[in-house]
Amino acid sequence: MRRKKHLLFATFEDFDKARDVVSELKVLDLKEMVVENIELYSPIEHPEVEAILGEFHQPIQRFTFFGAITGAVCAFLLTAAAAQAMFTVQPQGGKAVIPLPMDIVIVYEGAILFGVLSTLAAFFIYSGMPRRLRKYYSQKVSEDQIGIEVQILPENKEKVRATLDKCGALEIREVIQ
Amino acid sequence: MDTHTMKDIEWAKINKDVLNSLEKPRKTFWVVIGVCALLVLCGAAAEAYQYQEGLGVALMNRPHFWQLYISNFVFWIGMSHSGTLLSAILLLTKADWRKPIYRFAEAMTLFSILTAAIFPVIHLGRVWDMYWVLPYPNQRTIWPNFRSPLLWDAAAITTYATSSALFLYIGMIPDLAICRDNAKGWRKKLYTTLSLGWMGRAREWMAFRKTYVLLACFLVPLAVSVHSIVASDFAMSIMPDWHITSFPPYFVAGALYSGCAAIITLFVMLRYIFKFEAYMTTEILDKTAKLTFAIAMVWNYLNLTEYASIWYSNDMFEKEVLLEKFFGPYALVVWVMLFCATVAPFAMAFEKFRHNMWAMFWLSLVIQLGMWLERFQIVSPPLASNHEPWTWNVVWPGAVQLTLTLASFGWFTMLFLTFCKVFPSVSMYEVKEMVFHRRKASSRSEMDDLQKIKEDMIKTEEGLA
Repeated sequence: MRRKKHLLFATFEDFDKARDVVSELKVLDLKEMVVENIELYSPIEHPEVEAILGEFHQPIQRFTFFGAITGAVCAFLLTAAAAQAMFTVQPQGGKAVIPLPMDIVIVYEGAILFGVLSTLAAFFIYSGMPRRLRKYYSQKVSEDQIGIEVQILPENKEKVRATLDKCGALEIREVIQ
Repeated sequence: MDTHTMKDIEWAKINKDVLNSLEKPRKTFWVVIGVCALLVLCGAAAEAYQYQEGLGVALMNRPHFWQLYISNFVFWIGMSHSGTLLSAILLLTKADWRKPIYRFAEAMTLFSILTAAIFPVIHLGRVWDMYWVLPYPNQRTIWPNFRSPLLWDAAAITTYATSSALFLYIGMIPDLAICRDNAKGWRKKLYTTLSLGWMGRAREWMAFRKTYVLLACFLVPLAVSVHSIVASDFAMSIMPDWHITSFPPYFVAGALYSGCAAIITLFVMLRYIFKFEAYMTTEILDKTAKLTFAIAMVWNYLNLTEYASIWYSNDMFEKEVLLEKFFGPYALVVWVMLFCATVAPFAMAFEKFRHNMWAMFWLSLVIQLGMWLERFQIVSPPLASNHEPWTWNVVWPGAVQLTLTLASFGWFTMLFLTFCKVFPSVSMYEVKEMVFHRRKASSRSEMDDLQKIKEDMIKTEEGLA
């Protein structure tokens, strides 16, 4: 049977308080191993998010790179194959059957189109979207408050709650999933 | 409220102001929509008439196979340039003044490219055969000729329209989430679907930022390529006055110029209709005007270079067309164009003028008129006096072409204003970021000032001692 997740979701007034609470939780975790995961919700991108939560592994640019190469190759194959197919219908009169300078334009556009589409695919993969809204999601997070979601073991609930309270949480929601 | 006090706007107020604009625009909004709908109806009637009777009713005949439809196509493609291109460049250079205006500029790109895409279809006459341009296996075993700039156009415009739409949409997701959290009824359903469950999680923001910057990197060269390719439609022919090496950069500069003027027009319009006085400030207008002025000078330089290179080439056909342009039957168009696009923008050199919203609004319209005439004088006069004297003929666009031209303006404005009524035309999260960073910078400078005063006092005390 899947183990149930215990979560505490707290909202804070500003980024400074959110940073303080994450630091406090990390210190507490080092001492007593109470926190399983921390997630940060904010109305704008947190200016120091990686300093607080650590680096995120999101190699989106690799998708972009390989997408662009695939696009260029596909576009070249399309133009070359079309030129070959037309060869018997439309004689070239000594000109190249596959003319590179003209095809470069189509290849360029193909590279950009596939590059854009694969970047978009990577965005959906690494952001975990589309998804349903979490039940404990607070609308205040899209307005002017910062949300901290802490995944904990049930026995550590009070310690974490006390830390959140101490750091000035405006509201704390408890969730079992 | 001016931008130097924008740091004092509360985040909640930003949400409230922008969301209010979706519900309660001024009454002018409905008047403009009504007029535009009427223009679109007239255009639909003109197109139906042309469809029924054939292209002859548009007065297009040898040698004028290209006329207003192609001028309009180039004009609207040009208009689509500035929005996404400027948004992407200003994003990459981290210019924070773009934040309150980039959303509507990107929307302008999308709707002008959609308007532009209609004209090749209208121009074709045989609308029902339009799909022949698509490369697909068919029973005739005939493929489109990829060596033709017209095919490059189709590829470039499809790529540009897709990428611009995605760039606009991706940039809007955090705002759609804000709308979702505050909307009711059909709007709630729409925003819930489009926001894809965005919650503002750190990993979402990180992926968003990376994606947005990468898309911007693609869009800058793409926008340049699109208008260069449109220029190739002309430059790769052997027509005098079209076969010019500098046409691609000239077209790109012209596109940026008319696009910037369009941004100013829409800036003043939206500011009034949707009551965005606190966000669309004179400071931003001033910067946009300076940028427009700089681009105007680049365009002027390229225009003069074109005349000079034709003059000094001593090619009799080219020279003849140039002289015909200035002193022939189309002379009025060329002189009005030069006044509107070359002389009038010098008004933007004056700060007082740049800070006057309505003066800038009218000037931007004058510039756009100039740039529209520029496209007309590129297309029509060379056709009237080309290499074959027995085909020389001066033809002015008829009622059908003019009606469809007016309808395109109505169509664009109607789509654009409808977008602004349904989706937030000012980016809420980016304005919040701007406010946040400006507030932080100002408190940092206040701290520095205090520190300096403290140090001065210590020095003075030491001196006195």
